[in-house]
Amino acid sequence: MNVLGFDTSTAATSACVLRSDGEAFEVAPPVEALAAPPVHARELLPAVARCLERACLGFADLDAIAVGTGPGTFTGLRIGIATARALAGASGAELRPVSSLTALAAGIEAPLRLALIDAKRGELFAALHDERGVRIPPLAARPEGLLERLRAEGLLGAEGLLAAGDGSLRFREVLEAAGVPVAEPGSASHVVRSLHLCRLALDAEPTPPEAVLPDYLRPPDAKPQS
Amino acid sequence: MILGIETSCDDTCAAVVTRAGEIRSNVVASQGLLHERYGGVVPEIASRRHLELIDAVIADALERAGASLDDVREVAVTRGPGLIGALLVGLSAAKALAAARGLPLTPVDHLHGHVVASTLGPDPIEPPYLCLVASGGHTFIARVDDLRAHRRLGGTLDDAAGEAFDKGARILGLGYPGGPAIDRLARAGDPEAFPFPRAAPGELDFSFSGVKTALLYAVRDLGEREAERRKADLAASYQSAIVEALVARTRTAVEREGIERLAIGGGVAANSLLRERIAQAAGELGLRLWVPDFSLCTDNAAMIAGAARFGEPIAHPGYLALDAAARLEAAA
Ligand SMILES: [Zn+2]
Repeated sequence: MNVLGFDTSTAATSACVLRSDGEAFEVAPPVEALAAPPVHARELLPAVARCLERACLGFADLDAIAVGTGPGTFTGLRIGIATARALAGASGAELRPVSSLTALAAGIEAPLRLALIDAKRGELFAALHDERGVRIPPLAARPEGLLERLRAEGLLGAEGLLAAGDGSLRFREVLEAAGVPVAEPGSASHVVRSLHLCRLALDAEPTPPEAVLPDYLRPPDAKPQS
Repeated sequence: MILGIETSCDDTCAAVVTRAGEIRSNVVASQGLLHERYGGVVPEIASRRHLELIDAVIADALERAGASLDDVREVAVTRGPGLIGALLVGLSAAKALAAARGLPLTPVDHLHGHVVASTLGPDPIEPPYLCLVASGGHTFIARVDDLRAHRRLGGTLDDAAGEAFDKGARILGLGYPGGPAIDRLARAGDPEAFPFPRAAPGELDFSFSGVKTALLYAVRDLGEREAERRKADLAASYQSAIVEALVARTRTAVEREGIERLAIGGGVAANSLLRERIAQAAGELGLRLWVPDFSLCTDNAAMIAGAARFGEPIAHPGYLALDAAARLEAAA
């Protein structure tokens, strides 16, 4: 099965083609991209085109399109999902949504993988995976709230715990002081890699395009007038 | 056939238009009610809704046109101006559709779409002509000598006309959107009851903040009960001040430019007083007037696909890195 996957949940734009022979052609952005202003509209389709070209595949050769559904930057998620749905619709490929936090966790090399995406405004999107799968499903919280949750689960200072993602870079000091180790600053594990997204998609269910929407995990910032 | 996509504000739109300017379908999913309780468009809510609706709206436009993606030869999309998050939903979908099929893509200036809306259908306007565009987001007068571009002769310095209607309706407690509510109420009122100012900032420019303030003061001076009793007069006088300003400026532009064809567009073109007065002015000045169907005045994708006929399509894959723009350079 030929799978195209991409993720736009953070400021970094990542894409990958996982060809049916198991060979992967990936555009994995550098960690620095996480701190740059997001330009997904400019980067996404060129990255997709590069992956396809290197894999010697066209859109018509794709069996599935995997897209990171967040949580993460709202505008980025919409660019990724609108693109994925339209590509799937026009190419006939299946659409397979994958949690960006799950893809991020898949890149963390530790038994207890704490995936943290910067939710802005002092918050984090978080999920914890262990060997058996999801242990703490995606949530949005301030760092203190997350630490409290980890403490309640007896995970603070637990052996094998490691955090990664742009959220862990932002709150490194608070996290480390509380007993949550964070992957090295330059580690590639801070980026949501689309290679992991493609691999996860192999086991994901195909979903009707209109049902694929971002996991915002937060309501819009607006108050009714009356 | 050209598939047009437009998501610059709070309407999710797709349309199919032929190269000859025949509208095969023009689908608009309006979010108006969704934003009503916020008293205006909330960008994040609009963007979320666009993403929910976009695929269905495109599919609907193709189906109503009796077409499939295989019949589409070109994709046209609004690149700006507008709400950036909203624009990006339509632009992303348009680019991806075009890329997956190797089709050319034409980015369109939303305002140019309004200006050339009267070129669609069986009786297309031809340049040179002037166009008054008045909506909730923009109010300006443009000159068109060549359908590829328009030249802005003047425009609002503060609120757009539709925005002025919305704000006036809020002051009068009429809800959102304000234009239709004021239009309806004004029919029972006296347009000369209150002498609201008709600001004249530049020869061809508009300003609507003064009339809005005047309405606010009038309501305050009357007191709650009296203002309620004279609501129709207030609405009629307020509407008249806005419409007279639009018509007066358009007259000046026509006379100055010496042009014999005039079009109007934008959602405010649905206002019954504006239609009446602009037709009257056109008659007096001996102009031919184009008032497109309401569905072509409010935001729609037919005007975007229509405008793409005069634009420059970008061949695949030249548009892959194309970005949306909340503001575009003024068309020259
Ligand atoms: Zn408009």
